[in-house]
Amino acid sequence: MSGPAGAAAFAHAWADRVAGTSYVSMTRAESRIFLGALTGRLAAVLAAEEFDAVAVHQVGTDFFDAGYTAPEALGRTVALVHERLLRDLGRTDPDGRLGRLIDVLASSCARAQLDQTLDAQENMRRAALVARIRAERALHESEARSLHAALHDPLTGLPNRTLFARHVAEAFDADDRIGVCFVGLDRFKAINDSLGHGVGNAVLTAVAQRLRAVGEQLFVARLGGDEFAVHVPRTTCVDDVLKVADRVLATVAAPILVDGRELTVTASAGVVERPTSGTDAGDVLRAADISLHWAKADGRDRPAAFDPDRNAADVARYELAAAMPGALARDEFYPVYQPLVDLNSRRLVGVEALARWRHPVHGRLPAGSFIGLAEDSGLIVPLGLRLMELSCRQAKRWNGPLVSVNLAVRQIRRPGLVAEVAALLDRVELPPELLQLEITESAVLEPDDETVGTLRALDNLGIRLVIDDFGTGYANLAYLADLPVRGLKVAAAFLRGQGFDSRRAAVLEAMISTGRALGLTVTAEGIETPEQARTLRRMGCHLGQGWYLGRPTDPSSIRLG
Amino acid sequence: MDRPSWAPDDIDLDKPTAARAYDYLLGGAHNFAADREMIRAAMSFMPDLALQAQANRAFLRRAVQYLVDVGVRQFLDIGSGIPTRGNVHEIAQRAAPDARVVYVDIDPVAVSHGRHFLAGNPHTYVLQEDVRNPTDIVKHPDVTDLLDFERPIGLLMVALLHVVPDADDPYGIVAHLRDELSPGSHIVIGHGTHDSRPEEVAKLTAISRQTPTAMSTRTREDVVRFFDGFELVDPGVVWAPLWRPDSPEDVPEDPGRSGNYVGVGRLG
Ligand SMILES: C[S@@+](CC[C@H](N)C(=O)[O-])C[C@H]1O[C@@H](n2cnc3c(N)ncnc32)[C@H](O)[C@@H]1O
Repeated sequence: MSGPAGAAAFAHAWADRVAGTSYVSMTRAESRIFLGALTGRLAAVLAAEEFDAVAVHQVGTDFFDAGYTAPEALGRTVALVHERLLRDLGRTDPDGRLGRLIDVLASSCARAQLDQTLDAQENMRRAALVARIRAERALHESEARSLHAALHDPLTGLPNRTLFARHVAEAFDADDRIGVCFVGLDRFKAINDSLGHGVGNAVLTAVAQRLRAVGEQLFVARLGGDEFAVHVPRTTCVDDVLKVADRVLATVAAPILVDGRELTVTASAGVVERPTSGTDAGDVLRAADISLHWAKADGRDRPAAFDPDRNAADVARYELAAAMPGALARDEFYPVYQPLVDLNSRRLVGVEALARWRHPVHGRLPAGSFIGLAEDSGLIVPLGLRLMELSCRQAKRWNGPLVSVNLAVRQIRRPGLVAEVAALLDRVELPPELLQLEITESAVLEPDDETVGTLRALDNLGIRLVIDDFGTGYANLAYLADLPVRGLKVAAAFLRGQGFDSRRAAVLEAMISTGRALGLTVTAEGIETPEQARTLRRMGCHLGQGWYLGRPTDPSSIRLG
Repeated sequence: MDRPSWAPDDIDLDKPTAARAYDYLLGGAHNFAADREMIRAAMSFMPDLALQAQANRAFLRRAVQYLVDVGVRQFLDIGSGIPTRGNVHEIAQRAAPDARVVYVDIDPVAVSHGRHFLAGNPHTYVLQEDVRNPTDIVKHPDVTDLLDFERPIGLLMVALLHVVPDADDPYGIVAHLRDELSPGSHIVIGHGTHDSRPEEVAKLTAISRQTPTAMSTRTREDVVRFFDGFELVDPGVVWAPLWRPDSPEDVPEDPGRSGNYVGVGRLG
């Protein structure tokens, strides 16, 4: 075997011999073809006139580059060449060329190996360096990102509450006055609820953009929900912040285009401006929050500036409200009684029970200072029942004039009221006709079936029901005919002296005659002068109540008969 | 991807990594002393380790060739290692010059080198990412720029899943990736096992704990489960040398010594 067939046999053996020394990305058939080509080039070197070292060198390099990188690959190749290349090619070696060929082959492979190893090592060191720089940059960016994320609102990109508080704290150190404006969108929840959060978010984003544009020197933040905040630097007086607040409210109020739909959103603003000494950032932010609250309570779409007196009153109210449950448990609430007098005979026909609070610190408090709080908190329900019980016991003691007790809206709406009242009457053994309950007109403005049912049931118990503050609720008079009420109470206070107003007197007279026409007992409250008593009697009013006829007093001071 | 997956201090050339150790096993020089030392320690009880690495790489080559033959022109190679010889894009682009390949590896040095190596090849991209964040891979803008998930993709996870422990939900990861693929796509898996050489593999696993990606080998049954939702291409899940060998001579006497189950699945 010699010539091409011999070369092929050599290549075949070569491929098998070096297989597995290192990874080569060829099939075995491909490697035979590849090594066959190298064999051909070696054969040509052996056959040539002159020994061509360059060609051999190239063969060695190509061999290595194909992936035969392991030292074993070279070692086995050298052994194989030595062993059978001449034989397979059917050649002799008169000039000792084979030895030179092997030398060049080995050295070219070794050189390629060295070069490639050095290159690879250099590349890897550079790769490690680049990777390290990249990792450092990524770490830095992610730290910066998470720092930014911790201090900004993701929706609008504005600084968040934390950053705003930090900014204000820094302003405290830098300036001697501080000005802050909190901004709350009015009825934003309705937008979210009716148009969806997508629209809500678009509105917030638009508002954020507008706030940013209000002034370069302003620091704008989103506090959360529909609340934003603005720090106004270098203020001299509250007007400086109020001016910003006006601009803010105006820019928010311009129509916002969302999905081709125009939305109009108003905002309220709470404004604080004060010297930095004697206060701190927390105080200022609280004050701004309280002011914003006031702006909303005062009717929205307006700014409100912080007012220490108003705040003190608020705080007092709050403290009072907080003290009420304990006061109820300690039985600090009790009724006083104000006479209800027949305007014709001037005889006492009943008394209205009015709540008082024997406050351990503030002394005796009138109903006006705490009933509203009790209504807000819901405490009015147990409180009302307690006062009713005390009044019923007193009525039982008198067993004469009827006692009129106020029934709060919350009490009427509560299931079980009728049973409670019935049980109370039972317990006290009070004849029901000695109890009268006063319901404000607003409670029966648009009475639902349940309310009407409750009123019927009370009426069925034999209790008199009257409507208090009649004429203040713009009620549709038609309801009067359908409700089981036996009387009306109207306010007479405005008939007083100089405040006399003939048109309102005419309205009062009409109300009285309406009551009379329906067969109801009409009572006028707030009578303070003899003239008022006379006028009302002439208008046809049955009963009267007021300072002129008798102040609220302890039960022992009520003159019976 | 908020947190970089590797802190700068993790790039420690004195500690071995799988990518570089594997390069050394294949006869490459893209490795450092620590990698070679670890491999030498492994070869003291598993002298044929280099052969098995070559068998794995040869399977990868045959599988890519198969995918090219059935018309796949896009490849997502996760756990691609250090590009040296017989890279997926070389195999694929030889048959189809426009074939696109995205390489993904967790090893920052491997990725950095890969980027340098592939700088002139517009149809390739190298992403540094952890296979455990499959969404970050398939939604990465540079990945979606190159690969069209509406068309068949060859998803390669060769010698990768055995470094994802059950605690990291490898089946969920594969299912997640599968759900991103369109019909005609293929998955290629090579996976180390302790089935055939339990004691040696246990030692190898222990040694792998020196790297940031310790091994957790699986049984054949467990490997087969990775193909849930795919149709296994003939001959199914087999020892690496037995998967469509180029010639009978390439099949050793005891193919189980490869310790490597492989298979290709097609998404119908
Ligand atoms: C043994 S190499 C396999 C290379 C190539 N796939 C092959 O089979 O020839 C395994 C590669 O997976 C990478 N790897 C390990 N854990 C990984 C992870 N969680 N995510 C991505 N790559 C990972 C390693 O860095 C390494 O380069």
